[in-house]
Amino acid sequence: MSTAVSAQAPPAASGSFRWLIVPDDPAVEPSRDLVGGKAWSLWRMRSLGLRVPPAFVVTTEACAAYFAGGEQLPDGLADELAAGIRLLEQQLARTFGGGERPLLVSVRSGAAISMPGMMDTILDLGCTDEVERALAAETGDPAFAAEVHRRFSCFYGRLVLGCTEELDELPDTAAVRAAILEDTGESVPTDPWEQLRGAVAAVFASSRSRRSVAYRKHYGIPDDLGTAVTVQAMVFGNLDDDSGTGVLFSRSPVTGAREPYGEYLPRGQGEDVVSGRVTPKPLEHLKDTHPAVYDELIAAADRLDREGADAQDIEFTVQRGELFLLQSRPAKRTARAAVRIAVALVDEGAITPAQAVRRVTAEQIRTLLRPTLTEGAADGAELLASGTSACPGVATGLAVATPEEAQTTPNAILVRRSTSPDDVHGMIAAAAVVTEQGGTTSHAAVVSRALDTACVVGCGAGTVDRLVGRIVTVDATGGKVYAGELPTSAATEASDDDLRRLAEWATAQAPIQVLAPGADAPGPVFDADELPPDELGEELPEIPAGTKTVRGAVFTTPEGVRAALRSGVAAIVAEHRLPVLLAAIEHSGGTS
Amino acid sequence: MLDPYQLTLHSLTLKQLATAEQLAEVTGQDLAELEAGLEKAVAAGEVMAAKGKYMITPKGREVLDGVYPQAFTALRGTADVTDAMNAFETGVNKQVLSLTTDWQTKEIGGERVPNDHADADYDGKILDKLSRVVDKTAKVLAPVIALDPLVDRFLDRIRDALTRAEGGETDYVSGVRVDSVHTVWFQMHEHLLRMTGRERPE
Repeated sequence: MSTAVSAQAPPAASGSFRWLIVPDDPAVEPSRDLVGGKAWSLWRMRSLGLRVPPAFVVTTEACAAYFAGGEQLPDGLADELAAGIRLLEQQLARTFGGGERPLLVSVRSGAAISMPGMMDTILDLGCTDEVERALAAETGDPAFAAEVHRRFSCFYGRLVLGCTEELDELPDTAAVRAAILEDTGESVPTDPWEQLRGAVAAVFASSRSRRSVAYRKHYGIPDDLGTAVTVQAMVFGNLDDDSGTGVLFSRSPVTGAREPYGEYLPRGQGEDVVSGRVTPKPLEHLKDTHPAVYDELIAAADRLDREGADAQDIEFTVQRGELFLLQSRPAKRTARAAVRIAVALVDEGAITPAQAVRRVTAEQIRTLLRPTLTEGAADGAELLASGTSACPGVATGLAVATPEEAQTTPNAILVRRSTSPDDVHGMIAAAAVVTEQGGTTSHAAVVSRALDTACVVGCGAGTVDRLVGRIVTVDATGGKVYAGELPTSAATEASDDDLRRLAEWATAQAPIQVLAPGADAPGPVFDADELPPDELGEELPEIPAGTKTVRGAVFTTPEGVRAALRSGVAAIVAEHRLPVLLAAIEHSGGTS
Repeated sequence: MLDPYQLTLHSLTLKQLATAEQLAEVTGQDLAELEAGLEKAVAAGEVMAAKGKYMITPKGREVLDGVYPQAFTALRGTADVTDAMNAFETGVNKQVLSLTTDWQTKEIGGERVPNDHADADYDGKILDKLSRVVDKTAKVLAPVIALDPLVDRFLDRIRDALTRAEGGETDYVSGVRVDSVHTVWFQMHEHLLRMTGRERPE
């Protein structure tokens, strides 16, 4: 277990600021309203005894003062920013804006409630021509130093100066600077302190951007809720052979198994990974070369997994043999992993079954229950068309050429040259969609994914003529269309232990009954699948007043479940119960 | 410019099987004026009505095909508009489609899987980019907007959809049954193509 080596920051300083908070004392929890959610998380990591790069926060009070004073940084803030930077310099023995070992910082926004439209993170602030030279000398890597400078200029141009031109593609700092000047008439400051003040003011201003204001208006959030600004020291993973950067998952994001999984880039910096300049190594490399750092990292991951009661995705940097944790957040995961992790956390006593059913989405279960071609089924089958998979799934039916036929033919396979908004009503009715033209971002692909309808795109000219009028099987997972009906197989809720347990828990939590076909359903029953095709538009069908049970494919979609709940019916009939239960729970609100 | 009757007819090429209220949302027309137009179009055999929903007939499409060249002479004859449309197709339109795809799917452990919307940061970054692209679209299409204010209305509706998506209503990016970013973007795209007489690329 690591220790907070840098916790010996001058304690007196924390209390003496008007506009800053230094969240470095494990015993003193900062107010989320004052420092924002991100800075609070930093403090949380530190209070768990984990090492994070030193930081200070400009409070939401300073933001309020900024607006009260006519969009000017309040009196005294500039001096306090300088004092805050001095604290970071002392802790890391680096100098802001120059010296042999330059200090760079990140600047990010943070409100108590996260809000869209606020300024993104600026990395590498404090970079100048002089700093670039010093960084090149210190790391022995002039290309890296140049890249840091170029990237910082892009951040500053886009986020502070509001440049809308594409900057990321430009080759060097000079080109970026020229493009910014051309577009905005302003330049990236060459004084690092001016950069810092400009960035802080830009974060404040972004809390009243058009988007932020529209968002708050729509959701009734008070308009005077400003933002805090976190200023954090950058650490370097490319200083020597005892440095590097990486990412660690506390559980496998693919299977959900409780085993660490990750990548490590020796002598690497975040920029290297982002730009693809180098390929990282498996985490085992760190274990082989620096076993003590590896053990500390694994212990930290366990701690964060336990504290967060969820699988964590942890970014870290090793600087001269010292481990720094940069960020920890709930890990992304496949559908299979989501199910395994939710059930495992219940077994570990970390969460309750009621929480577990909120950790898995209806969409994830639909993915797991999706049928696939039975293994070997395609051997010897006649291949009629092949293209790109746009939305996975398997469907068999009669191939038709128009959306109107798709509406009147059960299980139709709609085959089009390409699709447009004119075809949407047919795509809703079809069991699968096949197109001649277009790729994974075409209209057909986007709409099919939104409908979770199997879809193969880009099968080439002549596909419509070849398919229409025949019974075909679309294997959209493999991007193929075969003649005739091929056998399929699928997992079921009953055949998988994790799914069976989740279904039990979800049944107890859901605000509505979900019945299997054939179960006793309370009447009157409304069946959307029996509506005449001309009543099936792009919108949901109207549920007649007094209906007790609804059935039909549309009521297994998120919109359909929402409509059923709103109309107050008692039950939904669905072949797969779990995704409908989860959608109902998700819609009924509450927190995990 | 289309006259009010033609505009009503035109709106049915942007939204199929729509109610009068939904069409009014698309065009911003007064509901009574729009309903009167629909009634006249049904009598002329240019529109079919079924249970409060309307659909344009092949005859209605022919009428429009005859109307467009005169209605949009100014637009079609402007070099700035041609440049703007070229920039639109190769730039922001491609970006929106690719961002929509990123919204629907993401990569995990080397696999492309459906986005479960459990990662607020991932979603937030895409919404940020979408928002910037929409703002840029207003700039790119400025020469078109100068001649056809309806394009501005589409952009406003796209921003409304973005706001709802930002609030967690995730189907407002690519959902089919709601006025999502993608739904309205495609309406706008179809509108632009019909005005300018261009073919849909891809």
